[in-house]
Amino acid sequence: MFELHIAWLKTLLHKSDKFAYLKRYSIFKELSSFELYLLNNYFHARSFKAGEMLFDKNYPLEVIYFVEKGEISVTGNAHPSGHSTVKKHQILGLLDMFHENIRSSSAIALGDLETIAISRHDLTDVIRQNPRMGIKILTGICHFYSNYIFTICKPVE
Amino acid sequence: MNWTKLIFYLFLLAVIVMGVFFYRWVFANMLLAVVFSYILDPFVSWFERRRFPRWFSVLAVYVIIGGVIAWFTMRFIPDLVQQGNYLFSMFTSGEKISGQYIVNLPFFNGVFRFIQDLDTKIPNLDLAPRVLVFLDNTNTFLAAIPKLLIDNYQNILSTISLIATIPLLSFFLLKDKYKLRKAALEFSTNRYFEVCMILLRKIDATVGTYLRAMLFEVIVVGVMASTALTFVGVPNPVLIGATAGVANIIPYFGPFMGGALAALSVLISGGSVATVIYAIIAMYLVQVLDNNIIYPLVVGGTISMHPLIVLCTVIAGGWYGGIIWMLVSVPLVYIVYSLTRVLYINLKDFEII
Repeated sequence: MFELHIAWLKTLLHKSDKFAYLKRYSIFKELSSFELYLLNNYFHARSFKAGEMLFDKNYPLEVIYFVEKGEISVTGNAHPSGHSTVKKHQILGLLDMFHENIRSSSAIALGDLETIAISRHDLTDVIRQNPRMGIKILTGICHFYSNYIFTICKPVE
Repeated sequence: MNWTKLIFYLFLLAVIVMGVFFYRWVFANMLLAVVFSYILDPFVSWFERRRFPRWFSVLAVYVIIGGVIAWFTMRFIPDLVQQGNYLFSMFTSGEKISGQYIVNLPFFNGVFRFIQDLDTKIPNLDLAPRVLVFLDNTNTFLAAIPKLLIDNYQNILSTISLIATIPLLSFFLLKDKYKLRKAALEFSTNRYFEVCMILLRKIDATVGTYLRAMLFEVIVVGVMASTALTFVGVPNPVLIGATAGVANIIPYFGPFMGGALAALSVLISGGSVATVIYAIIAMYLVQVLDNNIIYPLVVGGTISMHPLIVLCTVIAGGWYGGIIWMLVSVPLVYIVYSLTRVLYINLKDFEII
């Protein structure tokens, strides 16, 4: 009975995790509440209308977009078919982040689009300044690349 | 034409103009608070990364800085005040430093004799009496400084109150740094979003790094110069060292000011020419250490501005706002120049212009 009361009190005291929405993205799913709080400081919400361009090929690469709602059409050499669609809870710009300082593709919002955006320099700063957190993010990015490579190799098999 | 839109924009413009007019008195405070925040931000972030709430991190940094200032005050301020008073009393006691007194000092005596020789060789030159009158006038001007301070006590008090509000403004700037950044970026349209991000990052990097590096350099050069001048036996070493540290903000010319002040201090107090040479060598060694070790280590390279531009900037700054503007004009021009350059490159790259 006493334990039940303690459990009930704990539910009263438990604060909902304000930044848990970031865990929906595979590269952040291992982060703790505090690490998500630190990371959230660098995110900016951006909305795009249907048909609006996010960026064009050869533009300087500064921002990585995380899709909260809607879809993005991406055209560029990084995709085997030359075209792909980035959907809800997927990431746009992560491939280019470790490649060059310019965009390798163009991106246009397919419908009304809601994203959260982070500067790639802010992300690398967070990784560098918080090594434990950085390892978790970099592991997540490795998983992301691994999945991406296996996905694009599937049609070849 | 969309009249509703036009009227709204006119209304917005009117609100901005009224806002600028109403808040114009706090712009200087805000600017200094921003500078203060940039210097302290890495320390606040360090605490924050160790799981302290941001407001607590700011307070913790304030407490530490307060402690350092208290220690510094107890350790060095009495020396600085004593040395300042000594110089001040020398200048203000009319009898002690009259023109006649100065020309009897060892170094100046030689120069004065040379001038008297010239007077005897060149008829109607009368340079020596003019030098005495000039020195007397300078002394009269310096003796009027205390009266000047009393007459301008209101300005002095308002300056002190300005300085007191800066930590308070900085507290909020530091505590809500991320919220303010987010709010600022919300104003940008999607077309300019990435350019604004790049600019903000560049401002953070250029302004923050430069200000912190400058502060560090001022302290290190001040301490090194004070120590070196103490070894050489220059009078008032702490005061001259501190002045040399601050003057060092001006590239190329600032270091000469420190050296000149040290030499002048030796000559006025009746020191030998050898001491003057030692003082100049000591200040030169401080500069060699600063230019070759401290500055490259802290800033990672010197300001890439041509000496001619630096000279013009310092002169223009001096004409515009006196000694304070002489100090801030070079960093200000450097920061504005680098930001304009980044803006131009990115507007081109994003095909906006």
